[in-house]
Amino acid sequence: MSLAGYLLRRLVHGAALMLGVALLSFTLMVQFGPDQTFELLGKNPTTEDIETVRENLGYDRPFLMRFGDWLSHTLRGDFGVSAANGEPVGPLLGRAFPITLALVLPGFLIGNVLGLLLGMLAAWHRGGAWDRLVLGGSVAGLSLSFLVIIIVLQLLLCTPYGLNLFPTRGWRVDGLGSYFYYVTVPTLALITVSLGYNTRFYRAVILEELGREHIRTARAFGAGGGELLFTHALRNAAVPVLTRLLYSIPLVLVSGSLLIETYFGIPGVGKIAFDAITSGDQAVLLAIVVLTAALFVAVQLLADAGSRLADPRLGSS
Amino acid sequence: MKPASTLTLALAVLSLLLFTACSEAPEDDGPAPVTYVHSMDGAPKSLDPARASSIYGKTLVLNLYDTLYRYRYLARPYALAPNLAAALPEFSEDGLTLTIRLKEGVRFVDDPAFPDGVGREVVASDVVYSLLRHFDPETQSQGAWLWRERIEGLEEWKAAGADYDAPPPGLRALDEHTLQLRLTQPYPQIVYTLTQGYAAVLPREAVAYHGEGLGTHAVGSGPFRLISVDRTRAVLERNSAFRQEPVSLAAEGFDPAFDEGLGLERIEGRAPPFLDRLEVEFIREDAARWNAFFAGETEFLKLPVAQFDRVLESRDPVRLQPNMAERFHVQAAPEAGFVYTSFNMDDPAIGDHPDPDQDERNRALRCAIVKAFDWPTRNQQFSGGLGRVFPGVIPPVVPEFNPDLDPTSITHDLEGAQALLTEYGWNAENLPVLKWGFPSSVTDRQLFELFRGYMVTLGFPAEKVQPLVYASFGDFLRAFTNREVMLVTTGWTLDYPDAENTLQLFYGRNASPGANNGNFDDEEFNRLYREAAVLEPSPERTALFQAMNQRVLDECAAISGLNRRLLLLWSRELAMQPDRAFVGGYFFRFIDRLTPEVP
Repeated sequence: MSLAGYLLRRLVHGAALMLGVALLSFTLMVQFGPDQTFELLGKNPTTEDIETVRENLGYDRPFLMRFGDWLSHTLRGDFGVSAANGEPVGPLLGRAFPITLALVLPGFLIGNVLGLLLGMLAAWHRGGAWDRLVLGGSVAGLSLSFLVIIIVLQLLLCTPYGLNLFPTRGWRVDGLGSYFYYVTVPTLALITVSLGYNTRFYRAVILEELGREHIRTARAFGAGGGELLFTHALRNAAVPVLTRLLYSIPLVLVSGSLLIETYFGIPGVGKIAFDAITSGDQAVLLAIVVLTAALFVAVQLLADAGSRLADPRLGSS
Repeated sequence: MKPASTLTLALAVLSLLLFTACSEAPEDDGPAPVTYVHSMDGAPKSLDPARASSIYGKTLVLNLYDTLYRYRYLARPYALAPNLAAALPEFSEDGLTLTIRLKEGVRFVDDPAFPDGVGREVVASDVVYSLLRHFDPETQSQGAWLWRERIEGLEEWKAAGADYDAPPPGLRALDEHTLQLRLTQPYPQIVYTLTQGYAAVLPREAVAYHGEGLGTHAVGSGPFRLISVDRTRAVLERNSAFRQEPVSLAAEGFDPAFDEGLGLERIEGRAPPFLDRLEVEFIREDAARWNAFFAGETEFLKLPVAQFDRVLESRDPVRLQPNMAERFHVQAAPEAGFVYTSFNMDDPAIGDHPDPDQDERNRALRCAIVKAFDWPTRNQQFSGGLGRVFPGVIPPVVPEFNPDLDPTSITHDLEGAQALLTEYGWNAENLPVLKWGFPSSVTDRQLFELFRGYMVTLGFPAEKVQPLVYASFGDFLRAFTNREVMLVTTGWTLDYPDAENTLQLFYGRNASPGANNGNFDDEEFNRLYREAAVLEPSPERTALFQAMNQRVLDECAAISGLNRRLLLLWSRELAMQPDRAFVGGYFFRFIDRLTPEVP
């Protein structure tokens, strides 16, 4: 099957997946999500007030009708308005998304590059001191809570208890200088929390490659360590590396930024998601869930296309 | 693609991202604006005056919009002052008609909602419109309860389709600067309600233009104008067109015993606001709020209880550690409200019962639970020992509070409680299952465990004291509004400094879904309430309030109460006296920095 045909088929699967996710998340939120009625009522509400709010929230309408309406609006790009403050969800997320991207991108890139390098170092020295050191560090990193990392970094780098070099919170970026000023500590937190996972994964991938016959052959032909690792092992490990990188993107953008943005007071997607979860803002939550699912589908397509380009043999299987 | 062009593309994308992520434009050159950075432990949901129900929303609304009246900056007990109104209202002899003159020349801020974007003068019909809006079903107001059935013709106006061009007879603009309210019966708290954020004045054009967007836009005539707001902070700037009204500290209630040493003298004779820029950071997480404050990024902090020992040298009197005192002022401010637990009187297992004997046994059971509750421990463990435990439901922050009231109901008396149970035939076998409701949170769980401990000591088998955990506060609200919760623990934040506001929590007509979440419906209490409701503050009314308070105590309708104290810290570089009570936020206009010196 041609690449285009294959991708088209995956796209259809992806659309079905998104519909399933939409139905499931809508059902969960409507059936089990917090009831917003009483949060939107004043003191001493009357029965009539309660009914009016329920009507405005659409709680009095049949489930399928609500789902159908919501789906048709969503397909037209209208995610509704936030129940909290009446703000349209689309522009709200549109403003927040670039902030989140700018926030997590450095940590994501550096975390993966460092993880890859450390993984290669450990794999090359398998069983040796470097391997044990890197693996020990990784386990220590894995054991640390993200929240603890954030608080400790804030104390060490952002307050008079420590170096007091960076802000504890905020996002007042108006140039490269201020960007580095605000992004450094969140980036360090992201790197710290992801490095252990990344290193262990990349070590396993490279280790597998180093055990293959083509590496033995290259070694027999006198290839040096650098050439073996960067030219032969890394190129052949491109598929799992690329897949991991791409599949991490939705997770990093939403879940990774959730704690970071909440603790650093950054108005990105994670902060909006956190507020929507705690307040039961269904329109915002549904939009985030559906957009995350869409991102997953897009990433899956990209990963498939990338893998086929990196390894043409996949197309013939 | 060549590596160089790839790099160029990557840089271009990065630059685009950076510029898109920019939240503010670079500032112009010139003298640095006088800026103050405030922090709050929560974020407002909406800035629409009709929907801003939290202390966070109200604080901002009161700085962006005008209300007819406000509280004097420093006066304690709280005292009213005209704000947008030119003077206090003129009441007719029967107390049913109020005539209010508005200040002339007050203007809304410039906004695209107006023709040519230029703000127009605030007139009496704007006040009429703003109050009527609460009764328009389209608004989804959270403040309508303040005036429901109080103003002549409001309900009929709503039923007739809420036509703003045909206002009800009880709410009229007599001319551009005169407003008249006609009440259905005397309402002594009416002027207090006009200080609330709900009573903020906004132009009809703004609602037509911004609609739902008013949750994040503001078109008011207050001392500040909104520059931006998101989930993490709000930025306000001085409203340069704000009326020039020099401060008189004496008129604002300056008391040297409380206010000296704060640098407030520098604002005497000057017209507020004194800040060019007001930034309000919304920081819900205690650790992050403390870190930001200690690092100097914010200049005000409501100190979390967990930090008390780190900061205080002494709790009574409240005194900061020397290194903290060098940098910060501290104030132990009584919260305008109280926390209490009400028994659901609709539940025959613990509340009212048709059989008089069982009804009496239930009352004895409630009284035993009240006696077994150890308030000092509760205060120590959850409020840092700074709160004030008081008997009944009239808290110390209102003038009707009686400091000499019999403290029996707040005295931990385990033996007395056990004797009461024995006297009325209660034992481990026939005691009912107690269900204590709370929204899911660590603190609420700890409070439940504390209560369970008291009850086990009293004689309840542990399995007969059960938690009813709800996923969110909204779900908890729904449950007790539907009368499903046996023991409801809540806090009440006062809307105005008048004991009527807490006593209405036990008035039969306010039973669920109203604020009387214990559904207390006592004939004698209701009669006294109706009698007192139309009386102006007076010794006669206070006596009625005390009698109502005693009914609640006699019936053991609630485990009450605790008036918490908040520890407020702020930078010594500021001249201010902060306040979170009642409506909060009026003090912002009076904040100034100590430098530069006033010429």
